[in-house]
Amino acid sequence: MSDTAQKTVLIADDESHILNVVSLKLKNAGFRVLCARDGNEALEMALAEKPDLLITDYHMPGLNGLEVASRLRQSETCRNIPAILLSARGYNLNEADVRESGIRMQISKPFSPRNLLGLVNEALGIAA
Amino acid sequence: MAIKRWFEWIAPLGVTGGLACLIADIDPSMLLISPTTVSGFALLVVGCCCGLVHFVSLRRSVKALSRQSNELAAGPSEARQRLVSSDDLLGELVTSFNDALGSAERHTKDALSATKELQIQLKVATSQRRQAEAIIHSIDDAVLVTDRFDEVLLANDSASRALGFDKVEAQRRPVDRVVNDPQLVGMIRDVRLGKAANERRVIEHRVRRNGQDRIYRVTLSNIRDSQGESGGVVSVLHDSTREIEIARMKNDFVSSVSHELRTPLASIRAYVEMLIDGEADDEKTRREFHDIIMAESVRLGRLIDNILNISRIESGLLEIKRIPLSVTVVCKEALDVISSQAKLRNVKIEEQLEPAFYQTLADKDMLYQAVLNLLSNAVKYTPSGGTVTLRTMVDESAKKVAVRIIDTGVGIPAKDLPFVFDKFFRVEANKNVAKGTGLGLSLVKNIIETVHKGTMVVTSEQGKGSSFGFELDLC
Repeated sequence: MSDTAQKTVLIADDESHILNVVSLKLKNAGFRVLCARDGNEALEMALAEKPDLLITDYHMPGLNGLEVASRLRQSETCRNIPAILLSARGYNLNEADVRESGIRMQISKPFSPRNLLGLVNEALGIAA
Repeated sequence: MAIKRWFEWIAPLGVTGGLACLIADIDPSMLLISPTTVSGFALLVVGCCCGLVHFVSLRRSVKALSRQSNELAAGPSEARQRLVSSDDLLGELVTSFNDALGSAERHTKDALSATKELQIQLKVATSQRRQAEAIIHSIDDAVLVTDRFDEVLLANDSASRALGFDKVEAQRRPVDRVVNDPQLVGMIRDVRLGKAANERRVIEHRVRRNGQDRIYRVTLSNIRDSQGESGGVVSVLHDSTREIEIARMKNDFVSSVSHELRTPLASIRAYVEMLIDGEADDEKTRREFHDIIMAESVRLGRLIDNILNISRIESGLLEIKRIPLSVTVVCKEALDVISSQAKLRNVKIEEQLEPAFYQTLADKDMLYQAVLNLLSNAVKYTPSGGTVTLRTMVDESAKKVAVRIIDTGVGIPAKDLPFVFDKFFRVEANKNVAKGTGLGLSLVKNIIETVHKGTMVVTSEQGKGSSFGFELDLC
């Protein structure tokens, strides 16, 4: 896992259990992990830390996941950060809005941490 | 002095039917003088007798005719049938007159019959029109009927309320001067002129009245006469604002429930998989995972209970077991469950509970669920560092126990406060603060007021916090 050692993943979710389990899975896989509990915190952290990947919930206090991703695309330094939407899909998301935000990958809750790790590797171009 | 006598006779003149009047100025001394005079006089007498016979016959006929005329004038009769026809000219006249009378009488009878039938039809039509108008005026939907000149023929109370006009003053006035809604007026005209694709057009139309938007499903129908010309337009406006709102709320509810069910399920699945994959290195981490799985299972169960209980209470199918119990004990049990959630969110819990001695007659599980829901809401909507206070108060003289859950949270806007107990309702301003189904408070209200005949109370100030609570009778 040496090729993941320098990769930083930012996870944004207001459900602490989800935040912790995803964080643990990625840490165990060798990633550096940053955690945000709401949309505003996620945006601030992303702009400051410039992670290699964003995993975000949709429905959070403050900015929602799509808004966080959209704001990052407007930033000169963060516009190329790939993002994965990890949502409970209870809300009827408009697929056009999702594409517009720059999010190309989605995984819905309940999810398999194993599959999520596979998706993270794919997004970062890391061979499994 | 000569005595003169006047003799006046009326005699018929043969078959010509004419009458001759012989008026003679005769000297009585001449009557007994000569045979010529006698024979002439005899001739005159015979003629007079014949004339007399005719006169009597004629007089009888005329009298009969006169009597019949009087009877006819008085009303329909069969007198004509008793008139004896004679073979003379007068008899023919009488027969002809009788025929004409008979024909007139038949026509009169036909006309009377037709008149009666028309009167009946008019009564039926009037009655039907009144019934139709009564129906139109009694229905909730707004009905506006306009004629071929776009003038208002009929409008019910709902129409005058919905579109804001006086229905009496509106009669026979151009619809564009009655209804201040150019879009609706334009649609009425289009349908009448046949510009619309169909004779019947159904559209959703928004009407702003008294500062509020109402959404109507408007059905416009072109009424054509037998020649195919437009006789006018019937516009029916069905207020579907509430239906659309309910549909939206249900849609939101399904989304919320789906989200709420998936969230604890996501935790359960993820932690179980982590355990299976051996991602928990030590016993402490494994125990922590077990606790999370257990807590999330309880959360999932509680959510399902909320959904099911609210539908059971509403349908009256829920079995209620009332027993004497202490509200304080129920509150303590709910606090035990909520304290870990409060700790995670850095919300302080304060207890101000009366002694457990005071009891109320209640269903323990349901009362517990009500208190837990109120506490859970208070914690969810209170920012980190805030406080939630659970207080019970007993009024012995009134034999009441009151429960209050007071938070220092985000509060509720005054305009939303009357609706917080409505099923599916969620405060728009606070949707981003916490997730929810819009069912919790509705369930609490049902438990307290429908099941336990208690009273719910709520006060709130946006930005400062809320106080939810209830009062129950002591036993």
